[in-house]
This record gives sequence, C-alpha cells and structure tokens, in this order.
Amino acid sequence: MAAPLPAFVARRRPDWDALKDLLDRQRAGSLRLEELRTLDVLYRRAASDLALAQTFYAGTDVHRFLNQLCGQAYAAIYQPPRERLASTLAFFRHDFPRALRANGAFVAASAGLFLLGILLGAVVVLLEPRGAELLVPENLRDSIARKEMWTDGILSVSPPNAVASGIATNNLTVLIVTFASGLLLGLGTVFALLNNGVHLGSVAALCVHEGMGPKLFDFIAAHGPVELSIIVIAGGAGLMVGQALIDPGELPRAQALARRGREAVKLVLGCAPFLALIAVVEGFVSPGDFFPSWVKGLLGLALGAFFWLYLLRAGRGEATSRGVS
Amino acid sequence: MDSAASPSLDVATPERVSLSLPVAGIGYRCLAYLADLCLLFLFWIVAYFTFTLMVSDVLGFLKGLSGFTRTLMVVGVFATQWVYWTLAEVLMGGQTPGKRLVGIRVVRVDGSPVGVLESAVRNLVRLVDSLPFVYAIGILSVLLTRQHQRLGDILAGTLLVREERIDLDKYTTPATEASAVPAPAGSVRLASEDLELILSFLTRAPGLEPAARTRLGTKLVERYGGLDEAERAAVLASPATIEAFLRARVQTER
Repeated sequence: MAAPLPAFVARRRPDWDALKDLLDRQRAGSLRLEELRTLDVLYRRAASDLALAQTFYAGTDVHRFLNQLCGQAYAAIYQPPRERLASTLAFFRHDFPRALRANGAFVAASAGLFLLGILLGAVVVLLEPRGAELLVPENLRDSIARKEMWTDGILSVSPPNAVASGIATNNLTVLIVTFASGLLLGLGTVFALLNNGVHLGSVAALCVHEGMGPKLFDFIAAHGPVELSIIVIAGGAGLMVGQALIDPGELPRAQALARRGREAVKLVLGCAPFLALIAVVEGFVSPGDFFPSWVKGLLGLALGAFFWLYLLRAGRGEATSRGVS
Repeated sequence: MDSAASPSLDVATPERVSLSLPVAGIGYRCLAYLADLCLLFLFWIVAYFTFTLMVSDVLGFLKGLSGFTRTLMVVGVFATQWVYWTLAEVLMGGQTPGKRLVGIRVVRVDGSPVGVLESAVRNLVRLVDSLPFVYAIGILSVLLTRQHQRLGDILAGTLLVREERIDLDKYTTPATEASAVPAPAGSVRLASEDLELILSFLTRAPGLEPAARTRLGTKLVERYGGLDEAERAAVLASPATIEAFLRARVQTER
C-alpha cells in the first residue's frame, strides 16, 4: 500500500516545484549546463512519481498535476532540432525538386485541369462573344472596351470572405486557396484550377477578340510562364491532399492525410520564394512599356525554362550532385 | 473532477511512463482566438492611425496606388496576421498571447513541441478554416474530429492541449483552529478517492449555499468521522467546525 496522498505530496513536492521553476527558466532561456543536468534528473523523478500516481492515486488532482508537469518537461527535453540554413539549402537543392518529381502525376493532372479551364473559357468567348459577360468581371470588360490595359493581377480567385481584405486578387491567395481547398476532398482544388483557367482563357480570348492580343501578351509574357507553373504545382499539391482523403490506402484517413500532407506542403513551400521573385518581375518589368515586347517574351521564356530545368534536374542521382545553379 | 469521457492525448515517453494530456475543445479555442483577435485589432487600429498621421486623405491615397502596390498591401495584411500567429507559436513554445491567457498549447500529435513548419502550415490553412464565414469549416471540423482539431491542425499534425492550474497547497495546508474541535480518530485509512472527495469539498465550501454547505459537510463527517454521539454534536455545530474537523481528518493521513 502506498503512502497516503498528503504525505506523498508533502515529501515529493520540493522536487516538483524545483522542476517547474527550471522549466520556466528554460523557457526564458537562462539555464546553465549543470542546471540542465538537474532538469534531466528531476524530470526522471517526476516521471516515476507519475507512474506511482497512475497506480495508486489515479484520477486525483495530484495525478493530473504530474501529467501536466511531465508533459511540459517532456516537451522541453525532447525538442525538435532547430531548422538551420543548411537544411533550408538542402531542401531547395534536392528535397523540393525530388518531391515534385515523385508526384509528377498530380502536377500533370493539375496542369491538365488548368489547361481544360483555359480552353473552355477561350472557346466559349470566341464562339459566343456575349458569353464574356458571364465569365469576365465587369471592370475588366470596361477597360477592354476602352482598349486599355488594366495592370492588375490577371488571375483571381475570390474566396467569399473578407479576411485578406475585399480585393483578393493576388497570387499568394490564389496559391494558398488552390492548395488548401484540396482539403475539401480535392474538389476545391479542381474548382479553383478550372475557375482560374476559365478566367484566364476568357479574358485572353476577349482581348484577342477586341484586337488587344499584343497588349495582353506584352503584359503577361514576362511573368506568365513561371507564375502559371507555380499555380499548377500548388494545384498538384492540393490534388495530393484530396487523394489522400479519398483513397487513404491502408492507413486511417487522418494518418494518410498527415503523411501525404507533409509531402504536399513541401511543394507549396518550395514555390514560395519563386513566387516572390516572379512578383518582382510582375511589378517592375511587366507593366508599362519600358521594355519592348520581345524582350519580355524572351525573359518569360528564359525564366520558365530555367524554372522547369531546375525542377526536373536538381538533386538527381546522388545527394552530392550540385544540381543546376 | 472532470468527466473521464473528455478526449486526451496519450504519449508514450522514452521513460516508459505514459502521459495523457487533456485536449482543448471548442470553448477554449474560441476564447483564445478572441483574445488574439483583440490584440491584432489593436495593432491594426494603431497602424491605421499612424497611417492617417502620415497621409491625410486615406481613401484617395489607396485609390491612387498602382495595382501592384495594392497587391503588396493585401499580401502585407495577410502576412502580418500569419506572421503573428506563427512567430508567437514558435517563440512561446506553442502558445500565442491569447492561448497563454486561456491556458492551452499547440503540440504535435505525438506530444512534442511544434516546429516552424507545423506552425506555418496550421496558420496558412486558417484561410480555409475561416471559410465561408466565422470559421464555419474550422468549427465543424473541431466538432467532428475526435481530438478536436481544425483542418489546419489535421494537415500540420498538431492539436491543442489544456494546461490546468492545479493547486497542490490544499494537500498540505495545516488545519486551523483545530483546538475547538475533537481530534479525529483516524482509525480508518482513507483511500485516495475519499481524500480527493473531502479536499474538493473543502476547496469549494466557501462558494456553496449555506444549507448545502452544512448538508454536504455533515454527510462527509458521518461517513469518514468515526465519532461517538457527543463528539459528533460538537463537530456538527457549525460549518466552520465541520470543515476544521475534515481538514484535520485529512492531515492525520500523513
């Protein structure tokens, strides 16, 4: 028979208080080496006290207290390794391209959906120009009718919430929504891809129809290839998430989702810096006529080619390969 | 005493002791979120007013921006929130100011602390969780999953655990004014459940209705006292003596 509860608490409490104190200090980051050793010893003692409490004092406040204390100490002692610059570099050198190649089928499917959307939008507008009234937002129609370029982002997906302010016409939102709506069994991603495709296709077709094709080309040539690739990759990641939900294989859905989700998140995170770079191009090169059209076209082609060359070649073979720089 | 049915996160530590941490449900989440929302709101108010100090005609200024700068502003607004949540969670060990106030913490599903990646992911997915309005998707997900996770949590492999403030003093407070009360016999050993029962009564007694306070106290004395008639009458004289006796009864278990 174990000691009565108050006696047990009175005897062991100094250790617990010391451990709690050390944990607070550890969180504040002012621990010395010998104190760290003490922390380890105290944690082991608390763990054995917890085992005792589980056996003899189950369901009491002492049991709950020890659970919590050990939980905090466990968290402090078994911290995940800190992400360092080296691991970030390694991620871009081979992890990200490899993850993309491993899931090439999803990216291809995403590209197919996006192209399908573009074709649909374009065909509808070319066959029936009045269809543009349904597909193209009014402000764009007005500016096209006035034969002038709106220098706003061309892609837009409007999530029906005003979290990121009313005008959700930016690439980051498109990227995130395209990816994250994969959680709706992948249907959200399919919709976002088709929607963006239709949008882009119909706007492009309307511009061509109104004789503004060159102007449109002039605006999207420089950043278009890479930006659309990034959307397609995000779509692929969203489809992966959806697939994990629909067909988890031998795992429970939650586990399948966590596992595939980690892989999918890699794709999205990998795209982020490229998205930032291409936003710079979009902001400074694309608008206006400082650069002639053919320069923009060449730049767009070159950037797109480099991007895909990197994705398809980096990190092939051994981890020692330097990839394409 | 909370119900045994509330979900918990079970962790098997390398020390061969299994922890079970209580999972935070929707109420705690909402409270913490509201607290954080107040902070963010405060930040935006301050930012807005400093902005108006620099620019007199705000609407005109916004209209005059080019599309690209406007895009940058929107991204900036979103990024500010995202950075707030993520940085707070990473730097404060899985807590934001609001979460600390309420006493909940984000951990990985294996109980280890969150890293930058998990936190970044779960706060990116906030966007989807908050669709179509007032976090409807997130709330549904919290209500339907066993561990009360929203979509962002599921994707990042995290959950929220509760941290209760448990007061151990009640086990060790010495009995006061024990002189006026007959000493408890202590003939019967109390099991830990009985101790817990008496202690939780003593903790809550000051907040009870007088009638209920006396009634419950009497019941406990009769059950654990082991007294004869005269002593019982002395102990049951007033709530104060009842509680003093019970406290002494617990203390004799040393």
